[in-house]
Amino acid sequence: MKGLSQLPSVTALENAPQTALDFAGLVHRHQAMVFSVCWHFLHDRSLADEVAQDVFFSLHRNLAAIESTEHATHWLRKVAVQRSIDESRRRNRRPQVSLADVAEPAAIAPARDPLLADILQRLVASLPESPRMVMILRYQEDLDPAEIAATLDMPVSTVKSHLQRSLALLREKLARRGVGVEKWTG
Amino acid sequence: MDWLEQELKNALARKDPPPDFAGRVLGGVGRRAPSPIWRHSRWLAAAAAVVVIMGGAAAYRQHQGIEAKEKVMLAFRIAAVKVNHIQAHIQEAAR
Repeated sequence: MKGLSQLPSVTALENAPQTALDFAGLVHRHQAMVFSVCWHFLHDRSLADEVAQDVFFSLHRNLAAIESTEHATHWLRKVAVQRSIDESRRRNRRPQVSLADVAEPAAIAPARDPLLADILQRLVASLPESPRMVMILRYQEDLDPAEIAATLDMPVSTVKSHLQRSLALLREKLARRGVGVEKWTG
Repeated sequence: MDWLEQELKNALARKDPPPDFAGRVLGGVGRRAPSPIWRHSRWLAAAAAVVVIMGGAAAYRQHQGIEAKEKVMLAFRIAAVKVNHIQAHIQEAAR
């Protein structure tokens, strides 16, 4: 159940235009998806918050063109992806480096260790733009390669290649340190 | 799906935004949304600018036309004076 603090204020709803009630529903339904795409890609909570807000402001400006809730989902996902990439390029915070150049995890983390999630997030965040977004859409949004290809406007074969190469590199990085191997192979 | 993919699903699971996120978005929309009057006045300003530019262009073209006409008339007057002079010289020479 949502806390009162999560509900929009009365003033905000009164000030909003006629479409605000539908819009408010879309914000509540999709805020976690939009925020998470931005957060996993940018790896900066306040920046992700800013970009995610901007995505919803953009939705509000284009609300007349949205035909259904399904359309809104696709639209928000696509715009969140594009805005995150734009912001990353604009701020130039994350130079393009190959995963092979990324420092290996400093500590050996056993399988299902909470640290492993953090290590994986950092490894994914260090991937170059395209494979990073492909991984986020695959494992955060649970999209199949065809859906990812449609969202990113790239061939399905490229999506599959990014997935395979990224997984192989991650596996190699983790295996070299024995991260997560004992439990899963035992 | 192997162990790494399961760990990735866990690591990249959706995260909740700050609790006040939706409120800030809706509040921001209320502040950002332009009023219909302002939206119309922007169109009016744009239309007025187009009318002024087109009117200016037409006036400039008209001004250029008048100037050109005056130059042609001056040229005719100068030519007429010259022709009169030549005609006077020919008549004197004929006497």
